[in-house]
Amino acid sequence: MSVRVEGLGKSFGDVDALHDVSLSAAPGELVVVVGPSGSGKSTLLRCVAGLEEPDIGRVFVGDRDVTAMEPGERDVAMVFQDYALYPHLDARTNIAFPLLARKTPSAEIDARVGRAAEMLDIGDVLDRRPGELSGGERRRVALARAVVREPAAFLMDEPLASLDVALRRRVQIEIRELQARAGVTTVYVTHDQVEAMMLAHRLVVLRDGRVEQIGAPLDVYDHPTNVFVARFLGRSPMNLLPADLIGRSDPGVSQIGVRPERLRIVEPGTGVLDGRVVAFDEFGDEIVIEVDASGHRVLVQSPRLGAPEAAAEVGLKFDEADVHGFDLQGRAV
Amino acid sequence: MRGRSWLAAPFFVGAGLLVALPAVAALALSLTEYSGIGGARFIGLDNFERLLTDDAFWRSVGNTVIFIGLSVPLRLAAVIVLSLILFERFRGVTFARVGAYLPSVVPDVAYALLWLWLLNPLYGPLAAGLQGVGLTSPEWFTDPWAARLGVVLMSVFQIGEGFVIALAARRALPQHVFEAARVDGAGGWFVLRKVTLPMMAPVLALLALRDVILALQVNFIPALLLTGGGPRYSTTFLPLFVYRQAFGYFRLGYASAVSLTMFVLTAAAVYVQYRLAKRWRLL
Repeated sequence: MSVRVEGLGKSFGDVDALHDVSLSAAPGELVVVVGPSGSGKSTLLRCVAGLEEPDIGRVFVGDRDVTAMEPGERDVAMVFQDYALYPHLDARTNIAFPLLARKTPSAEIDARVGRAAEMLDIGDVLDRRPGELSGGERRRVALARAVVREPAAFLMDEPLASLDVALRRRVQIEIRELQARAGVTTVYVTHDQVEAMMLAHRLVVLRDGRVEQIGAPLDVYDHPTNVFVARFLGRSPMNLLPADLIGRSDPGVSQIGVRPERLRIVEPGTGVLDGRVVAFDEFGDEIVIEVDASGHRVLVQSPRLGAPEAAAEVGLKFDEADVHGFDLQGRAV
Repeated sequence: MRGRSWLAAPFFVGAGLLVALPAVAALALSLTEYSGIGGARFIGLDNFERLLTDDAFWRSVGNTVIFIGLSVPLRLAAVIVLSLILFERFRGVTFARVGAYLPSVVPDVAYALLWLWLLNPLYGPLAAGLQGVGLTSPEWFTDPWAARLGVVLMSVFQIGEGFVIALAARRALPQHVFEAARVDGAGGWFVLRKVTLPMMAPVLALLALRDVILALQVNFIPALLLTGGGPRYSTTFLPLFVYRQAFGYFRLGYASAVSLTMFVLTAAAVYVQYRLAKRWRLL
């Protein structure tokens, strides 16, 4: 079922947490809301869940306007960052809890818990309490508790934030597969833009409670509508340079952006601008070179082989197609 | 830590002088006949033998069991209800919390005298209130069961410490779990039974344990000042019985023997509760 949010606004005292936020997730779609901390993404998710009451705007699940409904009536399942398992109940009862709360017949509970446990491969730990489970098992129990409801939508609030990076990349694949298999519409909140790019069917970039851009991950990456989105997405932020530094005088364009992976190091004088290597960030597979070009810091992503020496004079080159133009307000031109 | 353990010395000196020493003295005295004046006469286990056939002793045990059986569950229920209601934020909640704690601050003797007035069947506000709705006040000080209930009633309002502990326990429960329960569609009653109370259970079990010990002591002053142990010995609980034996009849040896027995009975009750709590995985 679809999930739709229209014109949502919410403030806490003087703080505008959400401002006129609208978005929708089509049936079965995985929509990732990404933004820096304090951007209002958790508040947004909590408004959809019903844990937070918006000041203005409406929330729809399928065709139902659920804005005034209790969380339990909305047919959405939520996965919390800390998993929020019931510590005194074994894993089986934790998973069964939403069904028990709805007085589901016990034969049906057993069958559905069995299926959910099998889906998440936790059949052999069902008799343990959360305190006796590993972190990964706890996460699976939390996911199973969502899956078992067969809800209209999953709401996930940074469920992987506490994992180290290597593990996080692996679990992202698990989550993506689980969501695809369950076929349940999902709104997923994260501050990790790599995670967002990797998981999302559609990306919603949030800043200071406002939607900056919505689109397919690669579309947003390739066509950011403003400087914030351009610099927020990507492993290294997009380089921004004054337009006149590279002799461009398109009307309305005050600065241009080029992604670090689109820049090439060439002989001094043969590129678009020259500079001097000031630092390196080694990543093993590749290297990010920091170049000082007339007082502007430019990052260049390059293979390790053939990278220039420290303090070397270099030229920088890029294709016209890879240039993003922005106006004075930072909007894409 | 080890190098600093001498810092605990003042406590152990005090505990030794004020607790351990009297306990040993009581143990020794329980084997004697001693009136407080002159010498103590060693009589072996005669005191304990006598206790077995002393109707007054057994009546006190019965009264005490009744008191514990009524007051501990009621006090615990009051603690739970108060802490859960006053956990919520609303206008005036701070005053309400202070109000819940206040009766425990009042000195016991003043508190007892206050109840003497409250429970007065002729002039007390409780009687007036009951008359207002067409009921007659129980004869708090002349009917045995009314007298016992009166003492229980008094104890139910002095739950400040338990209330504060339960309130802290409720506050320590993780908020996300309750939000998860709401999203899972659990109603208030279901959450209370399946989430809130089970998660508070370890603390509540400890409070119950503590209250059994406490219940043996809190009835002393009301019984002494309000009911005088009566009517017809109905509120002569073990502490008052010991007090009367020791300082009324100057049977210090016998009083010591009863004290020790009381201690053993308390320890047994606490142990049984502890085992039960363990079995139910509460502690």
